[in-house]
Amino acid sequence: MISIGIDAGAATTKAVVLRDNEIAGYAIIPTGFDFRKAGEAAYREALSKCSTGESEVGKIIATGYGRSSIGFADKTISEITAHARGVSYLIPTAHTIIDIGGQDSKVIITENGKVKDFLMNDRCAAGTGKFLEYTAKALEISLDELGTLSQVSKNPAKISSMCTVFAESEVVSLRAQQFKKEDIAAGLIESITQRTTAMVKKLGIKPDVAFVGGVAKNPGVIRAFEKALEIKIRLPEEPQITGALGAALLA
Amino acid sequence: MVENDIFLKSLELFKDAFPGRINQILKSKEEGKKIVGTLCLYVPDELIYACGADRVILCGGRSAPIEAAEQYLPRNICPLIKSSFGSVIDQKCSKTKSCPHFGLVDLIVAEATCDGKKKMYELLNQYIPTHVMDLPQKPENQNALEYYIKELESLKDLLEKLTGNKITDAKLKNEIKSANETRKLLHALYELRKRDSPPIRGTEILRVLQQMHFLSPDEFRKNLVLLLDELKLEKRECSGPRIMISGCPMAAGNMKVPEIIENRGGMIVVEESCTGTRAFWDLVDENKEPLKALAERYLKIPCACMSPNDRRIGQIIELVRDFNVGGVVYYTLQFCHGYNIEKYRVAEALKKSGIPLLSIETDYSAADTEQIKTRVDAFLEMLE
Repeated sequence: MISIGIDAGAATTKAVVLRDNEIAGYAIIPTGFDFRKAGEAAYREALSKCSTGESEVGKIIATGYGRSSIGFADKTISEITAHARGVSYLIPTAHTIIDIGGQDSKVIITENGKVKDFLMNDRCAAGTGKFLEYTAKALEISLDELGTLSQVSKNPAKISSMCTVFAESEVVSLRAQQFKKEDIAAGLIESITQRTTAMVKKLGIKPDVAFVGGVAKNPGVIRAFEKALEIKIRLPEEPQITGALGAALLA
Repeated sequence: MVENDIFLKSLELFKDAFPGRINQILKSKEEGKKIVGTLCLYVPDELIYACGADRVILCGGRSAPIEAAEQYLPRNICPLIKSSFGSVIDQKCSKTKSCPHFGLVDLIVAEATCDGKKKMYELLNQYIPTHVMDLPQKPENQNALEYYIKELESLKDLLEKLTGNKITDAKLKNEIKSANETRKLLHALYELRKRDSPPIRGTEILRVLQQMHFLSPDEFRKNLVLLLDELKLEKRECSGPRIMISGCPMAAGNMKVPEIIENRGGMIVVEESCTGTRAFWDLVDENKEPLKALAERYLKIPCACMSPNDRRIGQIIELVRDFNVGGVVYYTLQFCHGYNIEKYRVAEALKKSGIPLLSIETDYSAADTEQIKTRVDAFLEMLE
């Protein structure tokens, strides 16, 4: 039995091929403008990676921000339900999931692989991957550099603007005040983890804590969470595919 | 989801009511009738009708007038305040164009509920004479009722002066009686929603409630009777996770969140809202001295501007039980501090009762529609 999960995210589209309840292959591609096209491309790439023909495919489930654009899916499901299922499959002991993607951040509390409670950030990009992307630009460094650089900081700068646009100008003003690059980088990362930490505390932490989504690939953010929550963060091998995996599992 | 989607003719009466009602007001104004505008449930309709005036609700639920309002008001106040004010000052909106009722209003009877409204009324007064009724904000205080009665007495004098008609006890009792009739009909309508498969959707009910203070009471009541009769005859059944909406008013034009909930498969069975239970829940005691009876009933409205507002928390839990609610969507308008802060206590009480809650804070724009859909989907999936 082969089922496919497609996670049409704001920044990246992910597809997972599930064969007899095991991951057979997956693909992660940039979404670009067209959710549907990205969905099709990710679907094909994931199939070709595990040498599977389209004729073998059973159910296709779409999730993510652009889920309703994936017209060839049999069903759609919210990414909150999908992540809960995907993470429980990979890390059965995890009951708190932090998911930070390109457009939003969420905290999900699970029980037996099902959503028990959740919180999602409000409409703006504060506390998301976009925040780091923009502010890294203001520091003239890449996202990867932001993560590594932040870890050598001894004295993180205080970034008080939650708004991405305001934070960008705050970075410029900190630069003018001759703050060290690593301190500003660490300040930016602290600012987004603080926001999500407040969401975790509001729901009540339930160990273990898993961290997924594109931002979970940033070592600086992982460390900042471990410091703020005083707990070891569990990471899936590939933190970007848990939504697509969950969708495939729910087929 | 409506299983047998039988067309309800009587619902169209509420939907198509706007032009007819405006013509009716125009006509009665020509005949010398005074028109009173209101923006809140704390202003008793009974007093306005007892002096022979007519009333229209002026609460704005549309986003279009907001831009005009922001020339006068700060951006970061609630959209209901901006939309209501914008409708008055928008030049395009004057007299009989897009928003004709404002040009027809002789007096606005406003109320001291939240800070945003209170200060907006000061500006509104520059366009239309606006009387602000004070409210005791600690309703459990010993002298609260007495104070509120005094405010009702002043309002009574003002209305008598406006119309030249005396508000006699007999007239007032008569109005109380018919307003109670309407409240009883709404209770009968809500009673149907307690069924396992209610015959009517939440968004359909909301469109009815949004007309409650816009239509004349007689017309509203007549249409309500027709709706109840039709529901008795037709075998209609709705299904889906049972949702209660609790929080801010949803004035006419504002259907965003309830429509998302029902389009995604949820079924709203009760609204703890000014466009819901708060509008009709308690009756006025017909055996008491009428002004005092009015004051007692109206002071019971559990608005978040009151403190402490334990009555509201208690009622939410009661409604959850009576309507067999599976999950609560706590709906607030951006910058509505009262309802936004009270969310914490409501969430606490619901948690104790084991009822899941989804909180949505939004405005009248469509900017966050997709994000709301994701949350609502996840919430409904969680309840299934």
